[in-house]
Amino acid sequence: MKNLKLTERLGLVSYRNQSKSEIKPHIVVDTDICNSTCPHKCTTWVCPANCYTMDENDQVHFQVEDCIECGTCMYACDQGAVDWNFPDPEVGRGVTWNFG
Amino acid sequence: MDEKFDCIVIGGGVAGLAAAMTLARNNMKFLLIERGEFAGSKNVSGGVLWGSDLAKLVPNYWEEEDGGWERFINHRRLTLMDEQSAFTLDFKSSHFNETPYNGVVVLRSKFDNWLSGKVQEAIDASDYAMDSFIATNIKVDEVLMENDKAVGIKTGEDEFHADSVIIAEGVNNLLTRQVGLQDDYVPADHMLTGIKEIIRFDQEVLEQKFQLNGLSGMSNEFVGWATDGIEGGGFLYTNRDTISLGLVLGIKDMREKKKSPHDVLNHFKTHPAIADIIKDGEVVEYSAHVVSSGDKRAMPKELYKDGILLAGESANLLMNAGKAIQGMDYAMRSGILAAETIVQAKDKGDFSSATLKEYRKVMDESYVMKDINGFQDAVHLLHTETMQQKVPNLICDFGRQFFSIKNEPTPKSKDMLKGAVKRHASYWELAKLGFKAGKSL
Repeated sequence: MKNLKLTERLGLVSYRNQSKSEIKPHIVVDTDICNSTCPHKCTTWVCPANCYTMDENDQVHFQVEDCIECGTCMYACDQGAVDWNFPDPEVGRGVTWNFG
Repeated sequence: MDEKFDCIVIGGGVAGLAAAMTLARNNMKFLLIERGEFAGSKNVSGGVLWGSDLAKLVPNYWEEEDGGWERFINHRRLTLMDEQSAFTLDFKSSHFNETPYNGVVVLRSKFDNWLSGKVQEAIDASDYAMDSFIATNIKVDEVLMENDKAVGIKTGEDEFHADSVIIAEGVNNLLTRQVGLQDDYVPADHMLTGIKEIIRFDQEVLEQKFQLNGLSGMSNEFVGWATDGIEGGGFLYTNRDTISLGLVLGIKDMREKKKSPHDVLNHFKTHPAIADIIKDGEVVEYSAHVVSSGDKRAMPKELYKDGILLAGESANLLMNAGKAIQGMDYAMRSGILAAETIVQAKDKGDFSSATLKEYRKVMDESYVMKDINGFQDAVHLLHTETMQQKVPNLICDFGRQFFSIKNEPTPKSKDMLKGAVKRHASYWELAKLGFKAGKSL
């Protein structure tokens, strides 16, 4: 079996409120901390949905759209940059698992 | 719904549903709040629900044509891996065909939804058929406290009041932190990321592949090469026409070793023993969720306070001491015991710690805390580099020699073992390990 790319894997996930153009992010990341004092920027590799990315200038960016609510970043970030919450059922993103 | 409830249960997972079922059966007036579209829609497990407690909640559940569970386990495998080899301890017994089963594989989106239907039936049969509710699509923002006692919950602008709150919100226990039972920041040290794929096959193909008969199923855990040097392990469970294949990976270790969980999952899938199993399958879901390790150092300070009880992964009730990954059964038992404590509190008319501390007592007397307390050394041992890497490498090295037939004089097995030990560890290390294992298991 060919291994799937992460984008193909995330393509199998059912996200909520996909028709809404504006969603309220359930995770807020203070990337100023990531990009100034953080010694590791680990969220850019530990996140199973690759919500945290590093650009060519080693700057961390965050997007909440692909988040599968696993919680990994909340524990992995020991710098206080991640403000983690559950998504709002009406105006948030997040998942509905088909299998779970 | 402006009347007061006896209890509000937060979370429609195994712990919350077990609590709700017990409350309904005892004619309590309660509200179960689930943030997903339906109970189970946000939930992920490996996963096997071990033990027979499910039969307490849903008697004769196995008689149902299409119950919420996938397969019962009568075949257990534990595999040690190196890069090329897999050395497996394999146990299959028709003893495990007997009901109530020793464990059932579940997919939570289906199982929890099914169990929540059973809870609704219990509500309908209770004195509070019109006054107890399962409410979905509601996120609890806050547990309302008055004089440090829980009096209800807040969601958006709405408040719901109750004499007690059972927090069964899962491992990402924000409300447990809000009420002060857990620190605001929980470090990565004893937390792992579970990551898995659901891989579909033609059902007959799957049944032949794993030698399944009817609804029998297999569970397989993996140690060693599977995790690419990261603390943790792998798992494979058979569902009806899919398998759950995944890993649990230490978050701190991934942070330090700069590994991505999805890369490690790809690595695992390329192992020859795994690649041969999955080659004609189709991935139909990819999921991930944090789990606790069973290390008590990560657990909340207490399981109760005035008006509040913690159940399931909210209290980090999960353990892998080498034999099985147990979490859902702990959730179920703690949910039942929490609800029984609430029933007693209502009888007494006292929902303060004075009554609720009884929950701590019955939990400590239950197999859940007895096992968690009794197997801490095993948990620590399992997470050492010796157990995670050296032992699997050594055993596979020995296996390769032992099973090689070379048309030349065969060395004695003890010499093969001696060589394998030398290459991967030392006798001293193994003696220490044997001593520790003997003590902790």
